[in-house]
Amino acid sequence: SKLVDLASYHFLSFPHLSSPHSSLFFSLQHSGIGGAAAGKKNRTWKNLKQILAVERTLPWKINDPNYYSIDAPPSLKPAKKYSDISGLPANYTDPQTKLRFTSSEEFSFLRLLPTDAVTGYLALRKATCIVP
Amino acid sequence: MTSKTDTTCKIFSFQDYKSSPDPIFEIAAECLQPSPVPIIIDNGSFQTRAGWACKGGEIGAPRLLFKSVAARSRGAARSETQIGNDISNLEPVRWLLKSQFDRNVVVNFEIQELMFDYIFSHLGVVTEGSVEHPIVLTEAPCNPLHSRQMMSELLFECYRVPHVSYGVDCLYSLYYNNALSNLTPLHTGIVLSSGYHCSHILPVINGRLDAGNCKRVNVGGSQAASYLQRLLQLKYPGHLAAVTLSRMEELLHEHSYTATDYHQELEKWRSVEFYEQEVHRMQLPFSAKGLGGVVSVEERQERRTQQLRRLQEINARRREEKLQQDQERLDKLLTVQELLEDGYLEQFHKNLVQLNMDSAEELQSYINKLSLVVEQGRQRLLQVIIGAKISLCQASEMEQPMDEGDGVTEMDPDFSEENTEIEKPVQPVFNMAEYHQLFVGTERLRVSEILFQPSLIGEDQMGMMETLQYVLARYTPEQQEALARNVFLTGGNLQYPGMKERIERELLAMRPFQSHFQVMMASRPAVDAWYGARDWALENSPGGAGWISRQDYEEKGGEYLSEHCASNVFIPMKIAKPVPRPAETLLVPITTMTAASPDSVSASPSTVLAPTQT
Repeated sequence: SKLVDLASYHFLSFPHLSSPHSSLFFSLQHSGIGGAAAGKKNRTWKNLKQILAVERTLPWKINDPNYYSIDAPPSLKPAKKYSDISGLPANYTDPQTKLRFTSSEEFSFLRLLPTDAVTGYLALRKATCIVP
Repeated sequence: MTSKTDTTCKIFSFQDYKSSPDPIFEIAAECLQPSPVPIIIDNGSFQTRAGWACKGGEIGAPRLLFKSVAARSRGAARSETQIGNDISNLEPVRWLLKSQFDRNVVVNFEIQELMFDYIFSHLGVVTEGSVEHPIVLTEAPCNPLHSRQMMSELLFECYRVPHVSYGVDCLYSLYYNNALSNLTPLHTGIVLSSGYHCSHILPVINGRLDAGNCKRVNVGGSQAASYLQRLLQLKYPGHLAAVTLSRMEELLHEHSYTATDYHQELEKWRSVEFYEQEVHRMQLPFSAKGLGGVVSVEERQERRTQQLRRLQEINARRREEKLQQDQERLDKLLTVQELLEDGYLEQFHKNLVQLNMDSAEELQSYINKLSLVVEQGRQRLLQVIIGAKISLCQASEMEQPMDEGDGVTEMDPDFSEENTEIEKPVQPVFNMAEYHQLFVGTERLRVSEILFQPSLIGEDQMGMMETLQYVLARYTPEQQEALARNVFLTGGNLQYPGMKERIERELLAMRPFQSHFQVMMASRPAVDAWYGARDWALENSPGGAGWISRQDYEEKGGEYLSEHCASNVFIPMKIAKPVPRPAETLLVPITTMTAASPDSVSASPSTVLAPTQT
């Protein structure tokens, strides 16, 4: 199939279209549901949380599948611990920074880290403490 | 730079792929005759694939493959939005990128409309006011009714599509691969699919999705990419800007793998020789500014010199002004003196009084002093000008080698020798090339592991295999056996090398001793969903089962789904119609519920409750 140049696409195929940026010609055509185009521009869209909140209120039966019921449950197995720096299995945790490490070299490296790096590593596994 | 590392170590550079804009295809005749051919759209949260439902060759492959992103800066007109491959490099516009997805569900239908416009115009659909072709679209497993309703509304009312069919992408992929391997369509198996935002475990019993036992783990390619990005940014704080998401995706696609036994593999990485051999060194382009702590000394000195220069400039300007003022004053005094010489005594005396002086002698002394000051000022000015010229010459000599340094984009191992030519303050000699390398070692392994152990990123959900075990436990042993015999892997995020072996090993661990299982990977995990949808459309003509016609939409509402072998399960439930827009003709919202109770009706915030209820 022939590839048509964008410019010729405008002027050969649609001589009646006056506006230059008619690659989105549909947005001009389905002004049909005229309010739709304008309505869509300004309306705020519900995000997933809001949609799910509304959906929860519908009269589902116990075994009906819906989006939130198929979420996997929390894990039954205890989480394995890995070093925050190298990723190797970690046996030790630094009581001061709560970072995990495997060897004494890692420990000395840990202690020299600036606080923002420490918080960064903890945030990576969502272990930052919110309570001041 | 020692030469021994050159032979055995692996140095890579980032490809930084740039996408080129898609051409606008002309519609082929076979897509219009005898009846409009369906358009197949695999609407993925990472990538959208679109094409025609035709057999064979070029037209039987997806015409458009583009990232599902739109870049629109605030206040820009709608026509200035760039979509997909129009954006050659994602990084500069990273903050403007929007997607129609929230996790794996479409929520933003304005952007979805832009995507459809893009797809239709690039496929060559030229009919005005409507799209004559039926559409096959993928949706999330157990897609929320609201989302489907909005999508149907968009397709039927905006684009006036005649027929629409929704299906689950993993199931289309299964359909395609079953046909490839000649399995009966009514078979039983379990689908493990991992996408960009989440991964699904979908059991299929006798050819139909067992939706009640499906499970979803909210870990996918995007979590892996952002995990890798943060790991590398924490490891290399000096290269914060160079560690971009696009580069992370490149690392995921080309440099990561999955360990068959995670702990065993990690033990291998403990040894230094293994590390040296297996670490992937990503060479970053050289940049003179990015020298972190070393430059801070230099920066401080530079700042000091700049401040000095500024002070000097200010002083010079003040001196000039003062000089000018003095000059003016001197001129004035001189004119007054001339008055005296020319004999205009009264005016002279008047001016003297104005100037606060008593006699001609005082005037004279004043003039002498001022003229001295002016002379001195002029001398100083001349000196400054000459001094500035000299320093300018010196600076221009200095800038020459610095410019050449900035021009080097690829780091050469030999550069460290050239480096010493550029004058820098005292600092330890260090390997410039290695400074600009990112060492990706255990990270190669850890990123794909988050699928199996979400606790690595702090998610408390079960990993994919644990969820599979949980799902299997809900069946009888015979059903479990049947399901485990046909484990099917699909989805872009399962394309890591070693993924199949890992899953086989985990299955071996969880299944009873000496039971049989078989794992099959899709032939092309990322695009097979599109091919499956295409084959389904070729075998099921519009108007038959599995298609939603315009009439169905109007009678049964937007959330209606016509089930077929690769679709979700539809639980008939009427939801409130969205708020009618002002320009439309008045639509009384229909809020019938299967269990009519005023409480549940009032709980849904999207309705405008009219007092007249049916």
